[in-house]
Amino acid sequence: MAASTPPRAGTRPASAATLAQLAELNQRLAWKPAARLQVEGLSIGYSTLRGRFHAVEDISFEVPAGTNLGLVGESGCGKSTVIKALMGLQPANTSVSGRALLDGQDILGLDDRGLRDIRWNSISLITQSAMNSLDPVYTIGDQIAEAIRAHERVSRATAWARAEEMFALVGLPAGRLYEFPHMFSGGMRQRAVIAMALALNAGMLLADEPTTALDPIMQSQIMTRIRGIHAHMRRSMILVTHDIAVVAETCENTVVMYAGKMAESGPTADVLERPLHPYTMGLQNAFPRLPVPGAPRQPLISIPGVVPNLLLPPPGCRFASRCPFATDLCRTTAPPVVRHGAQVATCHHTDRSEEFRAAAARPETWRNMRGAA
Amino acid sequence: MTDRPTIAPDAPAVIEARDLKTHFQGHTGLINAMLGLKPPTARALDGVDLRIREREIVGLVGESGCGKSTLGMSLVRMYQPTGGQILYRGDEITKAVGRQLKDYRRQAQIIFQDPYSSLNPRLTIGQVIEEPLIIHGIGNAAERREKVIKAMELVRIPAADNIDRYPSDLSGGQRQRIAIARALVLEPKFIVADEPVSMLDVSIQASVLELLDELSRDLGLAVLYISHDIATVGYICNHVAVMYLGRIVEEGKAEDVLTRPLHPYTQRLMAAIPRMDPGEATERVELRGDVPSPLAVPPGCRFSSRCPYTTPLCEAVEPDLSDQPSGQRVRCHIHDDRAARAHPELTPPRPGLVTETADAGILVETLDHA
Amino acid sequence: MNDIQNPAASAAIQGRSPWRAAWDSLRLMMQDSFAVAGVAILILFVVTALAAPLLAPFDPFKAMMTETGRLARLRPPSGEYLLGTTAFGNDVLSQFLHGFRVALLVGLVAAVAVGFISTVFGVLAGYFGGWIDDVLMRITDVALSIPTLPFSIVAVALLGPSIENIILVITILFWRNGARIIRSAVLTERERVYVKWARAAGASHFHIIMRHILPNIVRVIFLWVTMSVAFAILTEASLSFLGLGDPTVISWGQMLNTAFSSGNLRTAWWWVVPPSLALVMLVSALYLIGRAYEEQTNPRLRRR
Repeated sequence: MAASTPPRAGTRPASAATLAQLAELNQRLAWKPAARLQVEGLSIGYSTLRGRFHAVEDISFEVPAGTNLGLVGESGCGKSTVIKALMGLQPANTSVSGRALLDGQDILGLDDRGLRDIRWNSISLITQSAMNSLDPVYTIGDQIAEAIRAHERVSRATAWARAEEMFALVGLPAGRLYEFPHMFSGGMRQRAVIAMALALNAGMLLADEPTTALDPIMQSQIMTRIRGIHAHMRRSMILVTHDIAVVAETCENTVVMYAGKMAESGPTADVLERPLHPYTMGLQNAFPRLPVPGAPRQPLISIPGVVPNLLLPPPGCRFASRCPFATDLCRTTAPPVVRHGAQVATCHHTDRSEEFRAAAARPETWRNMRGAA
Repeated sequence: MTDRPTIAPDAPAVIEARDLKTHFQGHTGLINAMLGLKPPTARALDGVDLRIREREIVGLVGESGCGKSTLGMSLVRMYQPTGGQILYRGDEITKAVGRQLKDYRRQAQIIFQDPYSSLNPRLTIGQVIEEPLIIHGIGNAAERREKVIKAMELVRIPAADNIDRYPSDLSGGQRQRIAIARALVLEPKFIVADEPVSMLDVSIQASVLELLDELSRDLGLAVLYISHDIATVGYICNHVAVMYLGRIVEEGKAEDVLTRPLHPYTQRLMAAIPRMDPGEATERVELRGDVPSPLAVPPGCRFSSRCPYTTPLCEAVEPDLSDQPSGQRVRCHIHDDRAARAHPELTPPRPGLVTETADAGILVETLDHA
Repeated sequence: MNDIQNPAASAAIQGRSPWRAAWDSLRLMMQDSFAVAGVAILILFVVTALAAPLLAPFDPFKAMMTETGRLARLRPPSGEYLLGTTAFGNDVLSQFLHGFRVALLVGLVAAVAVGFISTVFGVLAGYFGGWIDDVLMRITDVALSIPTLPFSIVAVALLGPSIENIILVITILFWRNGARIIRSAVLTERERVYVKWARAAGASHFHIIMRHILPNIVRVIFLWVTMSVAFAILTEASLSFLGLGDPTVISWGQMLNTAFSSGNLRTAWWWVVPPSLALVMLVSALYLIGRAYEEQTNPRLRRR
């Protein structure tokens, strides 16, 4: 990498040529439209010693240009696997089928060269553990500048100036570009990763649990930044999280995943207000909320049982063993994908969802099946 | 989970901390020691008063690094407090050693955050739960087995199927139950639960919280529930204490603190929590910067470096906890004019009067430019 | 994987016994064909060593005479002397077979001593930390700065060449690396949440070490002991080759030394090849076992 730069408190004064090149770069990048992503029938399989299994099975969703999509589910439901496959980061022994069209281009079958071209440039990733996505031996500024220069023919000074702007964007002082990742606190590191993901103004951002493991203040700081960026730069984004409140505040559309399959998807407001799938209902009941002054406290209800073993998936609906409304049909036959207006659910009994919603709000409904599970 | 049982205010405390301090001494290098430089001292816990009574669950919240885990570890004597007192049922155990300390360890137990590394993978579930009994030399093999089975029943893990299994055969939620069973088998009176559900999936968090709630009710346990997930605190706690930089800044009944926070820090902490229903969302006030380092605690109010209402009084004089008409206790000059009267020359803060501008401007400016 | 027994059947809570654990890991290891080869060679060597006096056709020190009464010097292998004779008329096969005993005796005794000392140092330093760690590790550092070969030569020359002294020298030389390796393993184990918990529950240091630390570092100790056997055998051979071996016993190193000093290293292949080959095979077998064991206990190396 370039010659080491001594740590300095302030920013370096840019020459007129650099400023001109920066203005030109900024303009070029600002022209990039938000991307549209259509995922169709995405399945991801792993082969292990104990056999092959599908971590993700037949997932379809669309991210219209300039919108946020929340991908919600518990650990092991396959949500991070989807993100890895979209970035071409799946392990070697993985089979990926289906299509993922980024502005019409299928990005699933790309070779190394093709992947290099789209990464950072048109699709960029904000990872869960910021420490792992930053190289400890280079300064943060070097890393951002290198990412810019890998795709744009600009001088190092220009790339660095762009990096300074990105730092300002995420609320970090430009002087800290000269520092190494270990000198940053967890929250600052996460912001640096966001700055890096934004550096080339990629049309599609993938945020994989960007605030997990941060405390609420940090989480709020990061999410405020992400929302602000979304509002001002009109990028498209997939936000992977297990926190449905974050999705409620951030995303227009939501996909709920369970055990590698899509349980429900649709506009966030509809999915959270009128869930069609019993799993979504259970997830909502289990989600802790702050007490509302004067209002009676809602009980916190856990979903009994455990996620099925994906090596031996149950023949019917994967949620059947934990679902209080499961029928014999659910236990034997895989449920169809049913569309209700803008909402889609993978459930045999979407027509009874109103009745289920009323029952799901009562703790007894879930508690009574504990013996069964 | 229904409402918590009410605790008589004059009920005797099971565990009590009085002005408890735990400072950590850094390492001095040889050269620094020769130059007479003192090693830096981290004031992780810096004067905390707290009492927990029978059947009471006290929630302890705050940002990472605020000292909440240090308080939990100090109360079970994993860290040696450097000042103040810990009273267990009126007996001071702050400096207990030997027999007395071992007796106390039987009464006070701790549950850790990570259910995956808190159980030795080489021991069976039965051995894991039996271990504290062996440590304290309780009963013979058959009696111990009976106690283990009873503890497993308490946490609703069927003993017959699970006693000879290994931790790797269980899910995260089940392991956390085993960790609770291990804590309960000694029949303690006080339990510190340090982030017991933060590594569990949302769908099973509730069941572990419910378990803690029931156990405190049925066994009369005093519980210190440490969490940065403030929403969960509202479900199981009678009392909530908010910590900032080694001290409690606000405490009171859970409902009061969570719904009508008085301290500017608590207000921002509550506002930072994402809301499910858009209508509920309060005005989002961003709290700038990081918690100051416990190595360099600011003089005056500890929150003054981040508080929007800071005035010269805040920067010079640290407020005391003051009783409020609403029942809370708050450490803030806005709600306590004693310091202002003692120092008339310093400007006191006033409610709602913002004295510093937020840095949100940078964000908008740069974005427009881009 | 988990065989659930009827809990009512036994009163006491049983865990997996150490023997059962050892058996399980042995069984797992046996799925590795390299390990099987290693174990097979080792068993063959042990059996040979035990049966050496029965198998050896002659006394290893006895000088063979021809019918004419002359010394049977440097006879190539024949029906009479299966591996020929040495320059001093000794039967090579008999010497070679007795060499098994010395190699395995030195290897085993030295390795057990090395394993014991390294474990004590490593566990005490790693577990207690602080000044205990400082003192023990400075001692280790001093030991580490001892140059291997000069030290062994001087020590054996001073103490006198005997098997016991050679074992002592080998122990002094090899405990130091083991102590460092075991200490670092203990440092990892010490930070486990269950160790923290056990302290909070009032467990004694002895209890924590015996129940939580040692069982989890047994694999590291075993690996080090296996490697030490190989080191010890090689070091004994080197010392003997340099003429510092115990003159009252026959070892492979000594055979090579004699062949060398009598100037027959290049010509009398029957005298040189058997001990060299046996050394290589024995050390390889031990490495194969050690590698397979490490692979089996370290999931990251598991190729499955």
